[in-house]
Amino acid sequence: MYDVVIIGGGLSGLMASIWLADRGKKTALISKGDPMCCLSTGCIDVFGGTSSPLKGIEKPPRGHPYHFVGLEGIRDSLNFFKKIMAGSGLNYIGDIETNRGILTPLGTIKATCLVPQTMKAAYTGDNEYIHIVSFKGLKDFYPAYITSKNENAGYSVFDAGISTTVGLATRFEDTTFRREFVAKLKSWEIPNGRIAMPAVLGLSSSVEIMEAISNELDRKIFEIPTLPPSIPGIRLFRRLKYTLQQKGGDIYWGRDIASVERSDTQIEAVTIVTGSRPTRVEGRAFVLATGSFVSGGLYALRESVYETVFNLPVVFPKKRAKWFNEDFFDIGHPIEKAGIRVDRSFRPRHANLENLFVCGSILAFSNIMKYRCGNGMAIATGVAAAKSLDRWLG
Amino acid sequence: MKFEHCIRCTICVENCPVFSVEPKFPGPKQAGPDAQRFRMDGEVSVDTWVLFCNQCKRCETACPYGVDVSEIILKAQIKYVEEHGRSIANYMFANTYNIGILASAFAPIVNKIINTNLVKNIMRVIGISTYIPFPRYRAFTLSKGRRKVGKGSKKVVFFYGCYLNFNRPDIGRKIRSILVSMGLEVITPHQVCCGLPALGNGDLDRARRFANKNAGILVHYINRGYDVVYACTSCGLTLVRDYPGIMDLPDGKKISENTYNVHEYILNLIEEGYIKPGFGQVNMRIAYHMPCHLKALGIGYPAARLFEKIPGLEYRVLEDNCCGMAGTYGFKEKNKETSIQIGRLATLPILEYKPDAIASDCGACRMQLGGLTGIRQLDPSEIIFESLKVGLSTIKYSKGKGHDKETDSRFIKRNIRKGGQV
Amino acid sequence: MINTDVIIIGGGTTGCGIARDLALRGIPHYLIERGDFAAGATGSCHGLLHSGARYVVTDPQAAKECISENLILRRIAEKCVEPTGGLFVRLPGDSKRFRDRFLKCCEDVGIPTDVLSPSRAIDLVPELNPMIEEAIKVPDCAIDPFRLCMLNAISSRQAGGGFLIHHEVIDIIKEKGRCVGIKAKEKFTSQIKVVRGKIIINATGAWGDKVAALGGSHVPLTLSKGSLIISNHRLTNMVINRLRPPSDGDIIVPNEAVCLAGTTSISVKDPDNIKVESHEIDTIATEVDHMIPKFGSTRMIRAYCGVRPLFASGVEDTRAISRGFRIIDHNNGLFSIIGGKLSTYRLMAEKMVDIIMTRFDKKVPCTTAQIPLDGQDELTGYPLSKRLKDMDDIICECELVTRADVEGVMNRIGTKYIEDIQHRTRLGMGPCQGGFCTYRALGVMQEMGRISPEDSIRILKTFLEGRFKGIRPALWGDQLREEQLVESIYLGILSMSSK
Repeated sequence: MYDVVIIGGGLSGLMASIWLADRGKKTALISKGDPMCCLSTGCIDVFGGTSSPLKGIEKPPRGHPYHFVGLEGIRDSLNFFKKIMAGSGLNYIGDIETNRGILTPLGTIKATCLVPQTMKAAYTGDNEYIHIVSFKGLKDFYPAYITSKNENAGYSVFDAGISTTVGLATRFEDTTFRREFVAKLKSWEIPNGRIAMPAVLGLSSSVEIMEAISNELDRKIFEIPTLPPSIPGIRLFRRLKYTLQQKGGDIYWGRDIASVERSDTQIEAVTIVTGSRPTRVEGRAFVLATGSFVSGGLYALRESVYETVFNLPVVFPKKRAKWFNEDFFDIGHPIEKAGIRVDRSFRPRHANLENLFVCGSILAFSNIMKYRCGNGMAIATGVAAAKSLDRWLG
Repeated sequence: MKFEHCIRCTICVENCPVFSVEPKFPGPKQAGPDAQRFRMDGEVSVDTWVLFCNQCKRCETACPYGVDVSEIILKAQIKYVEEHGRSIANYMFANTYNIGILASAFAPIVNKIINTNLVKNIMRVIGISTYIPFPRYRAFTLSKGRRKVGKGSKKVVFFYGCYLNFNRPDIGRKIRSILVSMGLEVITPHQVCCGLPALGNGDLDRARRFANKNAGILVHYINRGYDVVYACTSCGLTLVRDYPGIMDLPDGKKISENTYNVHEYILNLIEEGYIKPGFGQVNMRIAYHMPCHLKALGIGYPAARLFEKIPGLEYRVLEDNCCGMAGTYGFKEKNKETSIQIGRLATLPILEYKPDAIASDCGACRMQLGGLTGIRQLDPSEIIFESLKVGLSTIKYSKGKGHDKETDSRFIKRNIRKGGQV
Repeated sequence: MINTDVIIIGGGTTGCGIARDLALRGIPHYLIERGDFAAGATGSCHGLLHSGARYVVTDPQAAKECISENLILRRIAEKCVEPTGGLFVRLPGDSKRFRDRFLKCCEDVGIPTDVLSPSRAIDLVPELNPMIEEAIKVPDCAIDPFRLCMLNAISSRQAGGGFLIHHEVIDIIKEKGRCVGIKAKEKFTSQIKVVRGKIIINATGAWGDKVAALGGSHVPLTLSKGSLIISNHRLTNMVINRLRPPSDGDIIVPNEAVCLAGTTSISVKDPDNIKVESHEIDTIATEVDHMIPKFGSTRMIRAYCGVRPLFASGVEDTRAISRGFRIIDHNNGLFSIIGGKLSTYRLMAEKMVDIIMTRFDKKVPCTTAQIPLDGQDELTGYPLSKRLKDMDDIICECELVTRADVEGVMNRIGTKYIEDIQHRTRLGMGPCQGGFCTYRALGVMQEMGRISPEDSIRILKTFLEGRFKGIRPALWGDQLREEQLVESIYLGILSMSSK
């Protein structure tokens, strides 16, 4: 019997689990697979489109889950996140007051709130020279996209003998390889300025690797996030999962929920499929953090949308013809409002369940693409739902 | 048609140990669901790259969409090998069981020559790598000796697997003793290889022959109320997943539903209140490496959860990495470099932690990590055995039949004294 | 300025077929196409090489043409054709009288048939509805319309024929009441080119009336939109038809790694302004589900529609209009060829060129039915063995297209259009619909110095917009998930916007 069973191993589920495990709760995390945050840039978008996330947070859009977290709640959750990341060796930089610009592989500037330390020195709009070091054959990174938009930038290509982000990151864990890399870069006599690289500076010790190379070359270095497989996303996810492991939370990975047992007002247990023998997992309380469509929390049939674990009531635009706007760039498709409506305590509405708490992108009206709040909202609601649950457990 | 759920998210690719070091492997997504759209019945296999896959199954565990990535690749591997013929190495590794029988029979001679340069050179010629010393073979295997030990209302069948049987029967005996001390009747029936090495070397027919033989035995006991417990996580995964799955045995589902990891089983016994074992102090620092196949079983970390209960034991569950050995994969000369490179990555956190010993449920993982780090390796059961206060030194195996009884009964007595109930 | 004998407007199968026929009969010609080859109805049809059985009851003449062309194309265009065979399946409730007439008409026209019991039919196509009453096997085939165009164009080029793709005819030059040339505008650079010729052929299908109007003429057309959906992978290796009078959603055709299912038939006015409606997809999915019950729940990767140019005959129901073709002599040097269908493109070209030959007073017989199409060896096919020449540097992972493939096309045709690469390699035609590979292909094009990074971003935007139109109607289930991922890449990671 667990105190809390968390369903969904994404950013919000992991944050909720870690927060609860930190409080000494006996937790079990069940996940069907690896989450979307390992495909992300690894940055924490809190609220985009403005110079400060605060503008969006102080007056969140109608129905947005930020209403239920509140400014202080969001601030707390981000601080908690920064604290545990710092503890795991993957420092995050930034604060809730400002959105900072990072360079994308397309040469555009992406506004985000918290960035991993390896992106700290990223483009900030000044005109200092940027030298991009790319890798031969890397099919998801073309420096010309960037140099064409930044006049004061140039690039060189290093042949690492492997041409995938995952492969490169693995090579960078090897000190011999790093020595060769640094030696080569020194021989290039790169003009003064900062050095930018696709985000492949190691899998688990990125900060140390970046600092080591930076010291040797005596230049500031920063990473540019890439298309999936995105190494900063993987780092974020693995650090959090490992943190949870160290805090003693049980983890059931790669498992589907086969069935749910509920009484009148409570979820009593879920059954997961392990091999082909079902395992019953009992909990006093449950957290649902299975994400939106892409993560598998919601599923769209031709006529309707359903929630995949508890079959909770879902709000969604009724007519499929209206789910998407006509234009790809008309951001904020109506279907992105779909999700579970919750009350202030993060319990699902109209479900009559007192021990189920919902967080993350499965929440209705989160509209992540439009408000650019994906990872930030996952952290904020994950922690907030955990707090609410903790109060209820007493 | 699970492959149609693939949305190309690359999560499987992120988790693939081979992809991260081998530029020639296009990754599980490409070799699995992507290529599957093009594989037509009756067409000869052309995708050599499926052979790079080491079947660690991490892709499948990580896939959030339920795509059976590694099984798609396994089927393609089997088809490829069937069409293009087997190498001597393939043939040998598919037959580890029969080789094991022979090698055990002549254990003293085999052990003497197996790590000599001459034999190593021959092995390299036929495609077997020798960077890790070959394990020693034991004459007194688990398949010998008493079939039934212990008494209790709960009864289990012990599926020990080839490695414990031929190379480490001492661990097998310790596991059996632990189970007896938990108040179980333990049957160690005659059994053969689970079939995984044959499957991994593209020989589905042979794998099925092995599986059918085991199925007959296991089902016989399951029908009489026994549960099956396994120690080797790869054997376990084969029983649980491949018997009903790719091998499609009629009784596969029944076996799968009644088969447990040994530590999972012990935890269940404790949780149900069947037994309250008294765990004794073990002063050790352990780096626990979770085998990929345990991860694929999806039963959490049962060994680590038992470690929690052992006073004095300092341990760390390592960040999960593949060791690169993957059963017989790393023993093939052509995979050697890949295997070592993957393994090195897994050793980094171990070296950083500086443990007294590496613990892992899988014999192949232990060989690889031990071989690459030079650190002593233990099966988690050995630590549990130690904790249960039957010190390693107090056990003396005498050759001959009666020894199991003696060991087990002494162990039980001690345990009862410690407050364990039977 | 370019001078030639015959100007062909339209690079569909009809236009390309005419070009090849002219080439084989030694007539200089030039082909103008506003998009890429097969950009109109050719590229948005089923890719079904009819046995004729589909029309045998309603239009025996068209059926007769179909079966004879079917046999010819299987010979001359061997590598564009997958001889899948087809089944007409009769479901409970479908008219038995129609079935009897169908068999009788097939016999009259000369279409070989084989009546199969349900169990034999299911042996051939395991996913078939087990409730079927019977199935009739006919020699339907799958054909790749784009390759067919390409091969015809290659024949034409080998004989000195020229073509301009991505050139839109904006004017027909008239002198003394006769059409003597055209002005064409390059889409990317807006550069104008003039081509002069003695005869102009308007083979622009649904755009026939628009083009004829440039020459001061009129073509009576009825435009009928047909929509189709594409499944993620193959559910049948045979063409499946419903044994009943032609109706919505009664054909499934295997094509490369996917199946195409359709169609609908809706009267439209403007061929440039059409889109697939959600309800059409529902209709198709529901209907084809009767034949292959898994179809409706299988993942759809995209929907598309094309416009059938039918000769206007005052008939209301577009399905009842003959699928036969007409050649109209506008008596001013301009000819329009309209109607017909993919399966009979060669015959249409033959008849058209026969007329041209009489105008030029030359007597060279048509040989397109005898001489196999050249250049077939460069083409790849559906099975993995054909796709997988090497494993290095796969750019499009869904359709297994390598960097070398992309570079090869760039070197051959030097295009600025990502679509041209897609058509020639199938890049971006798989389940993610170019979500990952387009960014890469454009990067490769940049590295080759063929396009500037600014251009590539513009092209990427246009591509994403176009792509979205195709997948939007098919967004539910797994494809909706995929779309959220693609959105998160372009709008999130790459932070793109319409500006």
